[in-house]
Amino acid sequence: MTTKPELKLGSHLVPGLAAVALFVVMAAAFMPASFPAPQGFAEGAGITASIGYAMFNLDLGEVSAESFLVAFETIDILLVAALVGAVMLARRESGDGTMTVVTDGGRRLREALSGDDDEEVSD
Amino acid sequence: MVPPQYYLLLSAAVFCIGLFGILTRNNALLFLMSVELMLNAANINLVAFSYVWGNLTGQTFGLFVMAIAAAEVAVGVGIILVLYRDFDDVDVTKATTMRW
Repeated sequence: MTTKPELKLGSHLVPGLAAVALFVVMAAAFMPASFPAPQGFAEGAGITASIGYAMFNLDLGEVSAESFLVAFETIDILLVAALVGAVMLARRESGDGTMTVVTDGGRRLREALSGDDDEEVSD
Repeated sequence: MVPPQYYLLLSAAVFCIGLFGILTRNNALLFLMSVELMLNAANINLVAFSYVWGNLTGQTFGLFVMAIAAAEVAVGVGIILVLYRDFDDVDVTKATTMRW
């Protein structure tokens, strides 16, 4: 089933008003605030290289930054955990524990399930 | 030189668009997209203030936020796969029980 997003005024009015109200509140808080003039980065400074140095605690970057080695390693573990979690969630629970890989895009299995054997493409 | 207030306004607008999407949509994939919008609104702020202070901490932190967003999407898509398998739909309002 394909649906496209539609704006329904009845049911979307309250969330829309809530979002707009939040924006108005945030804008009212931001606009009167005073910030120092942007310092920016030095002309020709290696921004990307400095980010790379900051991620590995190397004090070689032209632009100063804090060191992020611990965060880098933590994110490493997080990404592995998320990958394992995603694979575990997406795995199909089959009864006998064994499962053959369907390499034809599931076409043969679908035909076997639906019962009809009209083979349009024979390869 | 763009004043920092305008970065904050842009970020607030993107965040509110994401909030509206989360409040109104039923499709789980659109949920994920809305959460991405909200995370990227935070990223705009991080990069903007990195520029304001002339310090690269904010930009590096934005990189880490993107990595966390990738992890979140990986788990989210896994959950959506299970949702589709068990309820034959990605409509989050259909899944009213926590068991299957």
